[in-house]
Amino acid sequence: MVNTFDKHLIEVIHQKSIKIPIIAVTGGKGGVGKSTVAVNIADAIVQMGYKVALVDADVDAPNDHILLDIPLENSIEVINTLPLINYGRCTKCRKCVDICRRNALFQPENSFPILIGECNGCEACILICPSDAIDRGKRILGKVYMSKRDGLTLFTGEIVPGAEESAFVVNALKNRVFEEANDLDIIIVDTSPGTHCNVINAVRAVDIAFAVTEPTPLGIHDLKLILKLLKKLQIESKIVLNRSDLPGPKGQINFIAKAYDSNIIVDIPMDDELLKSYIIGIPVVRMYPKALSSIKFFNMAKEIVERFLQ
Amino acid sequence: MKICITSTGSGIDARVDERFGRASYFLIVDTDTLEFEAIKNPAQAAAQGAGISAAQVVSDKGVEAVLTGSIGPNAFNALRSAKIKVYQGVSGADTIRDAIEKFKKGEYKEASFPSGGRGRGFRGGMW
Repeated sequence: MVNTFDKHLIEVIHQKSIKIPIIAVTGGKGGVGKSTVAVNIADAIVQMGYKVALVDADVDAPNDHILLDIPLENSIEVINTLPLINYGRCTKCRKCVDICRRNALFQPENSFPILIGECNGCEACILICPSDAIDRGKRILGKVYMSKRDGLTLFTGEIVPGAEESAFVVNALKNRVFEEANDLDIIIVDTSPGTHCNVINAVRAVDIAFAVTEPTPLGIHDLKLILKLLKKLQIESKIVLNRSDLPGPKGQINFIAKAYDSNIIVDIPMDDELLKSYIIGIPVVRMYPKALSSIKFFNMAKEIVERFLQ
Repeated sequence: MKICITSTGSGIDARVDERFGRASYFLIVDTDTLEFEAIKNPAQAAAQGAGISAAQVVSDKGVEAVLTGSIGPNAFNALRSAKIKVYQGVSGADTIRDAIEKFKKGEYKEASFPSGGRGRGFRGGMW
């Protein structure tokens, strides 16, 4: 059983300012082929004549640009507020310390407040300060990039190593994509592994999520987690079984899929041509369009187009 | 000397709470008279920054030292900035009374750096 959120909260979570469809490629486990699937269905849909945004939301280690051999271009910094206490104006009233929900500020006796903990930039301290003694400092959290190649626009988010707030960068990335939505037919979001806040932000407002996995004990374990999250968020999920010819426990996948209202929509066996294209940095659907895996990706792309773009 | 000891209960014979930021109680004790005040830790269930918040509570009491099992880096830095000495390694098997005795005998050493990692709190909150 999964407790989902109430209807109102779900509506807020999935609020969407644009009309075009958004698809997530996720999967819980790392290394199962999320980016390979995302890159290939994106390219397959481009080959069908649509304008596709591929959004690399794995901001801790973005790599779609490597798989596509596209340089990162048009960078914009993701900036967050950091409170700067102005000692000339501060009256030591301590309202800022008390309002901080993250308890990031500390005020030694008879002294000025200091920032010790992790600030998330909410600016509550700036708003509450009665003497206007907190200035808006800036902290760079990461960058978002946009690289255009024919029908494909690759958006990439990248966090500054060591920064904790990766969900902010994911949000900034999605906002930038939404600003460009007039020029797009469909958005494909490639998430990071896991089920944490930046995956949650990456799958917000998506119309469907593909959970990529492989028939191994770890793949199954992490698949269960992501299906649970998707169900909690009331997002329709479909399973992409990669390396499907590995001699793993496939029955368990069907069992878990059923438990979370999901099902396997495609299995992709191990394919030397896919591996070769991966090494060279060209999507297999472009390099070897007749390869077994390419046929699977084209079929997926066709189904996506039929359901969301026609 | 006025010190703070992290405690599992509100009395002087309660066991020491080895956590700082998420301790149940802070006992503010006068080591000479053994007079004390028990403060329930308002930060115990804080989503984030329990250590800093706890440091604020004990700093406001004007203590000179904190005795606890282990302490995270943020709480340690906060106490440091308030010039409060930190003594770590107090055992949860001891009562507050035992810990005061040992402190007076000089059995605890002043810490010059926090315990490893993030402290013993949990990492809750939104991210």
